[in-house]
Amino acid sequence: MIFSAYQTHIFILIFIYIILVVSLNLALGYTGLLNLGHVAFFGIGAYTSALLALEGLTYIAAMIAAGLFASVFGYLLVIATDRLRGDYLAMATLGFSFVVYSLLLNLRDVTRGAMGIPGIPKPTILDFTIRTNDQYLIFVLLVCAISVFIMYRIVNSPFGKLLEATRDNAVCLRVLGKNTLSLKYKAMMISAFFAGISGSLYAHYITFIDPTSFYISELILVLTIVIVGGLGSIKGSIVATALIIYIPEVLRMLDLPSSVLGPARQAIYAVILITILMIRPKGLFGKVDLE
Amino acid sequence: MSLLAQSIINGLITGSIYALVAAGYSLIYSTNNFMHFAHGISVVAAGYMVYWLFTLAGTPFYATCLITILLSALFGLAMYRLIYLPLQRRGSSNVILLIASIGILIFFQNIIQIAFGSGVKLIGYIEVSRGIAFPGGITMTVLQIVILLISGIIFIMLYQFMQKTKLGRNMRAVSNNKELASIVGIDHIRISDFSFLIGSALAGVAGILVALEQNLSPLMGTNLMIKGFTGAVIGGINYVPGSIIGSFVLGMAENLGILVLPSGYKDAIAFSLLFLFLLFKPNGILGKKEGRFDK
Repeated sequence: MIFSAYQTHIFILIFIYIILVVSLNLALGYTGLLNLGHVAFFGIGAYTSALLALEGLTYIAAMIAAGLFASVFGYLLVIATDRLRGDYLAMATLGFSFVVYSLLLNLRDVTRGAMGIPGIPKPTILDFTIRTNDQYLIFVLLVCAISVFIMYRIVNSPFGKLLEATRDNAVCLRVLGKNTLSLKYKAMMISAFFAGISGSLYAHYITFIDPTSFYISELILVLTIVIVGGLGSIKGSIVATALIIYIPEVLRMLDLPSSVLGPARQAIYAVILITILMIRPKGLFGKVDLE
Repeated sequence: MSLLAQSIINGLITGSIYALVAAGYSLIYSTNNFMHFAHGISVVAAGYMVYWLFTLAGTPFYATCLITILLSALFGLAMYRLIYLPLQRRGSSNVILLIASIGILIFFQNIIQIAFGSGVKLIGYIEVSRGIAFPGGITMTVLQIVILLISGIIFIMLYQFMQKTKLGRNMRAVSNNKELASIVGIDHIRISDFSFLIGSALAGVAGILVALEQNLSPLMGTNLMIKGFTGAVIGGINYVPGSIIGSFVLGMAENLGILVLPSGYKDAIAFSLLFLFLLFKPNGILGKKEGRFDK
């Protein structure tokens, strides 16, 4: 054991969020697909994986299924919102996350509603069950490295350049005979897939999920990280995730009661978000502005 | 039969609160052309103001209402001057303004939670919660009648203001065409100031009524905002009377919907309507065609 139990916990969260944030950056930053509903994919992944694992599916299969199911929703979201622009698109994607939230809350037969799903099993891989947090840390680190590597390869491939071209000048790209709609579908589905994977890692780490974990306050956190890190920069997203998850830990030194700690953390994220928008909307390593 | 009548009355009452939220929101949207999502927190802040002044500090009720409405208006103006205007001056897009406004909402929601705790709060102004039975098996509290009356009066006044006064006409001019309005000498920043003052004062009224009618909770801002926004989208977000009518449609849909669906689906009805309208009729039932769809 190298780190204290608490530090291990923070590192696990950071790696889970890196996958989530980089996947949002793939859609929002690289492809220019405005999406304020990304936490919905995270939630869909978490619920899919938790429910399948409780039904007895092996962990890796449940995790892949979580990613695939989330990417089905990514496909649906692009079908539904393709014709919208600007703040209507923003509100529709935000509305999508509200719809998913209220489904999680109301489909009680499947999701147990507001009571949430307790007792999600820890992952078992080839007869080896991950029990301690140290083992989980190594596991998330591995999944995170693989996911980020894949996404890094995607954005630096010719396909990735097409995605960036979709963002910068879609009309030009269509003139060149590329199908921008199909590029959008692919980008959103890849983005949703990895969000689903990170949702699965989250669910099996915390072992309890309820709909409030996938709502507007979570959205603010993810958006803050992406914007602070900078749109279109994987490096920025990784640095910003570590920074922003770590900053509110300063609060713990003040010895605040836990009823204040949670809201104070949220308030700090909101302040960081508004400040970065006012001072440097490109973020730390950003290449492009938001629309 | 009486169940149906009661549901319609409940729909009207819910609708008028949504409409108060939506009217202010839509007034601000139509003059400024960006989504002021933090409008929801103005409503909640007003509700907590009533709780603080009236229930905790013992201020007389009508004085409380007056102070609350005034402070709400100033709160709205402060958000415009301190956050939105600087952002606009550095050329931020509407999407950035929307994200900033979600940030403002989350910020104040958590500040309220730190200050007052996350538990629900009761105002305890019991004089108005007396039930009155009407023929046809309908019961309403005094408060609910007051809600219907006050919102009705406010909507008529707002309509008169927008149609008859110079300021109201200038507001509609800015909403219609900002460049043209500034060519004829209308200072659009001043008009925006007034739209935030008036819109947020309406949020103050809504906050007082919500505080009296329901229990207060810090997290209700998002939900109220979605409801007000949904009402505005149904009716036409850039047209204030449309958004008021849309809110009544939403109130009715929710209350009639739970006659056939489990009551937990009340919010799902609103979310689904919001999504469907955004996709298929983003300008709403009565909204003007120049909406920024596909632009």
